Amino acid sequence: MVSDTDLVKRAQAEDLDAFCQLAERYARRIYLLASHYCRNAQDAEDLSQEVWMKAYQALESFRFDASFYTWLRRITINTFLNRRRSSFFQRQGQKIAIQLTPIDSEAQETFLDSRSASQENIYTKLLFENVVSALSELTPSQRLAFLLRHYEGMSYEEIASVMNCSTGTVKKGVSRAIAKLRARLSPDSETAEALTSLANEY
Amino acid sequence: MHNCREIKEQLNELVLNNEVLPAELSTCGECRAEFEALNATLRMTKRLYETAAPPEAYWTSYHAQLRLKLTSPAKAQRRNEDLLPSFAFLFAPLRLCAKKSIRVPLPLAIAVIIACFALSVFAFRATQHPNVLVESPVIVQVPVEVPVVHEKTVTQVVYRDRKPRFRSSKQPVNGPKPETTFARSQKFPNEDIPPSLTGFKPTEEIKLTVIKGGFPNEK
Repeated sequence: MVSDTDLVKRAQAEDLDAFCQLAERYARRIYLLASHYCRNAQDAEDLSQEVWMKAYQALESFRFDASFYTWLRRITINTFLNRRRSSFFQRQGQKIAIQLTPIDSEAQETFLDSRSASQENIYTKLLFENVVSALSELTPSQRLAFLLRHYEGMSYEEIASVMNCSTGTVKKGVSRAIAKLRARLSPDSETAEALTSLANEY
Repeated sequence: MHNCREIKEQLNELVLNNEVLPAELSTCGECRAEFEALNATLRMTKRLYETAAPPEAYWTSYHAQLRLKLTSPAKAQRRNEDLLPSFAFLFAPLRLCAKKSIRVPLPLAIAVIIACFALSVFAFRATQHPNVLVESPVIVQVPVEVPVVHEKTVTQVVYRDRKPRFRSSKQPVNGPKPETTFARSQKFPNEDIPPSLTGFKPTEEIKLTVIKGGFPNEK
């Protein structure tokens, strides 16, 4: 298996195939981050492809100081934050906090159509709806901080440095996200039985 | 005795770092229940996050679309370079300068831009009103001849007949009259009498004739 360093060097020498191999390695991680940040499949696809376009244009500036994915993740976060400042999320006339993707929409079907329509699938949909709903109640910065901390495993200091904010702000955002998820997925909620069974399964 | 509320704030970190509950906290039922609930919640969300990826068929079209997007700007850039090969040397230093330049903090950059704008506005206003800055006035002395009428002053001696004066009872009626200085000077023209106003009575009416003009015969 070719290392990232070799692929990056080839890509810097205008080898498009090498860059596409890098994209195939990390496209899923970038897409998942984008999908949980945007909560919309089409926006996630646009955003993740924009990340790859920017990475390709800025590839000459990569100095191998960090790993390729660390560099790529920084581009991803900057792209997310720039999109937030633009009118990307307001183009449908809705605010970010209340923009919920219905679970039966085409976007969610894209996520889940590989699974059969079994009971497990229904539970998963319910669970996914609750998680998305809980995350949608956060601000984009809080949501991004939680995604980076929980899913990407970044430290608070790293997140604060990348998002250009204080460590306390990051901690507050993560804590608030956990509290929201905890309230949504607690056994007292409406989907208690389904969620309990899923929790036991996982 | 530990405080459960304070412990709950630390439980997030324990769960996020995939740590186990410390032994001293496992004795508290409330803390242990909260820890397990948090752990289950975050495990579920992470599992869901990983399983929420699109199917394999989606990625085929995704990468094909990405490759198409990547080739399009490269072709366009190459086409532009072919069209303008002679001007490439002009843009190369600018591109190098932009890449090598020092990053300036955004507030500082904004402050510099505002200062430059203010200076340009002041400079523009100064060019619009050039008469405001006028040199110090030069004093020019020009002699001007002004005609002055020299008036001739004429002194006229006015004589007035003296009327009989009322005398007081203390003074003798037929007594010697006091002689005025003028009378004495008339009597004794050679005598050097010092001028005195003793006995002088001014007239009640004074008639003055002003002779206009500077010529002697002109009235």
